[in-house]
Amino acid sequence: MTLGGFRAFALALVMLPAVSQAGRPALNDKEAPQNLDDLREIQAALQSNLARARAATVCLQMGAGSGSAVIISEDGLVLTAAHVTGKIDEEIKVIMEDGRELKGLSLGLNSETDSAMLQIVDDGPFPFVEIDEKDTTILGDWVFSLGHSGGFDKERGVNVRVGRLVRQANSTVQSDCMLIGGDSGGPLFNMEGELIGIHSRVGASREESMHVPIREFQKHWEDLKNGEFIGEGGFAQKIEPGSGFLGVIVEKSEEGGLKVKELFPKGVAEESGLKVGDRIIEIDGEEATQGVLDSKLAELGVGDELSFKWVSGEETKEETLKLGERP
Amino acid sequence: MKIITMFLLVALSAASANSLPSERRKNGQLIQQALAPVQVSLQESSAVFYNDEDSRQFLYGTVVSEDGLVLTKASELSEVENYFVRVGSKKYRSPKVISRSETWDVALVKIEAEKLLAVDMSAPSDLAHGTWLVSNGAAERRFRRVKPGIVSANRREIPGGSPAVLGVALNEKDESLLIGVVNEKSGAHKAGLKKGDQLLEIDGSKIKDRDGFIDYLKEKKSGDFVTLKVKRGEEILEVEVELMPRHVVYGEKMNRNDQLSGGPDQQSARRTGFPMVFQHETMLTRRTVGGPVFTLDGEFVGMNIAAVNRVEAFAIPAKELAEVLESLAKK
Repeated sequence: MTLGGFRAFALALVMLPAVSQAGRPALNDKEAPQNLDDLREIQAALQSNLARARAATVCLQMGAGSGSAVIISEDGLVLTAAHVTGKIDEEIKVIMEDGRELKGLSLGLNSETDSAMLQIVDDGPFPFVEIDEKDTTILGDWVFSLGHSGGFDKERGVNVRVGRLVRQANSTVQSDCMLIGGDSGGPLFNMEGELIGIHSRVGASREESMHVPIREFQKHWEDLKNGEFIGEGGFAQKIEPGSGFLGVIVEKSEEGGLKVKELFPKGVAEESGLKVGDRIIEIDGEEATQGVLDSKLAELGVGDELSFKWVSGEETKEETLKLGERP
Repeated sequence: MKIITMFLLVALSAASANSLPSERRKNGQLIQQALAPVQVSLQESSAVFYNDEDSRQFLYGTVVSEDGLVLTKASELSEVENYFVRVGSKKYRSPKVISRSETWDVALVKIEAEKLLAVDMSAPSDLAHGTWLVSNGAAERRFRRVKPGIVSANRREIPGGSPAVLGVALNEKDESLLIGVVNEKSGAHKAGLKKGDQLLEIDGSKIKDRDGFIDYLKEKKSGDFVTLKVKRGEEILEVEVELMPRHVVYGEKMNRNDQLSGGPDQQSARRTGFPMVFQHETMLTRRTVGGPVFTLDGEFVGMNIAAVNRVEAFAIPAKELAEVLESLAKK
């Protein structure tokens, strides 16, 4: 036993020089790699953390658009960018690297820093990564970036890139890991495999990538988790209730439901194929009445969805319409 | 005076505290210096292609035999009429294209050289994600600059995604189907089809309308031939036309990510349709593909075949490249 204890002690001593004071890998203490062994050290650190990081990196799909995100808890709490989720309480498809599809619901977002949260609704446990709670990563540290660049591609898998932290500002860190469309919302890791940022945008050159640092999430953690829409920044636009436009005038039908009386030319209703004289029988699964329609429209804004079932001649049709802008 | 000096100092120290000097960055000089042992391999086994007209470097090649066989990217090479090649610091005039593979977009070129250092293609091609790779950067006359990058995704086939096209616009007029603009890179142009020709028959069956005609072509592959009967003035002509991949005739489609990647200046024109590649994130451009890819151990693992976009580069693995070379050398 003693020997065992001694061995462990000796091993710990040997390993000490490899780690700097703050517990950071020594590879970050050099101005730059000086030889191939220094580069091999970076490679080994990255590779030892890559499997776990890849498993937790997901693709988010919203209609035609897609972004990336990362799972940070066993029960499926996810961090991403505000310009990816765009809205609070929105159903978003979550795809794992192996192709497994899950249901997600967007939580809060910060429209000023481009941070957002999402919750996977399906049952876990899910693979997840630790976050750099103590904010130990500094300028010059080696980092790696993951994402579903250009959208989900099962054959390709998650795309990994390596680089360094090259610039720091208040609510942004910049790395020279290259990013592209579809990476937005994806994770940036330090060489210990801890999450340090979320991809937000790119600069003019290929080597300028901007990320939201984790401390910006930490500042508003509870609000983000509780589904708050924070700030009035450019990364997401608050939907004003009642701003959505359907472009239809209805009247009560004697056969039940609502009869289409007039259609606004090229409005959402007309474009969906609704005709004057058609009879709307259900709105979002509820029996169609003027009261139901008015109260739904009062809650919803531009881009929100509302489903309709209606009778047109002999046919019954069903469609989910996306509300347009009031002309 | 004092105040100004202090202000400058503050500004300077603030800048250096917040920003990493460029030589320390991933593509900076210090890492290039650390890669010196691998640069030696790159120096000896890379061929550099220069345009005769402006002496500008436009492509790299990979030296595969002592006596001057070089593999490179075929579609880029065919864009330039006259060129010369440098290996090491030696210049080779009038290289000859021996054969080319449409499938892999690889050309086999011969230069009059001896005692070159050929790459060894026997390396196992299983590269783990995150493995450092070294490729050619910008060219200097005597010195091959290195660019680092890591293996970034699964090795795989890249589907062509490029349908076979005739290469003409179609105009419907009074129940007849007429040929509009004929693209110069198309099989239709080669076969001598002209604007205004009226399409009558394809492979012996009557052409009824545009949709029927297009549906028939959809069943065909690139490299297939169709026989067209056309009416030109009073003449009836019958011609054989080769169908070609859409990207060869019209170039590849641009999406938002392509625009983000610098477009045709930076990206390889052909970046789809490869039977097997590994992917890395080295910052290549269309002018720096064609060269060899090495690991930190100086092991040759493949040849760069496409600068895809700002985050993706494709290389043909060593094993597959050896097979391509074998079939090209037989031709």
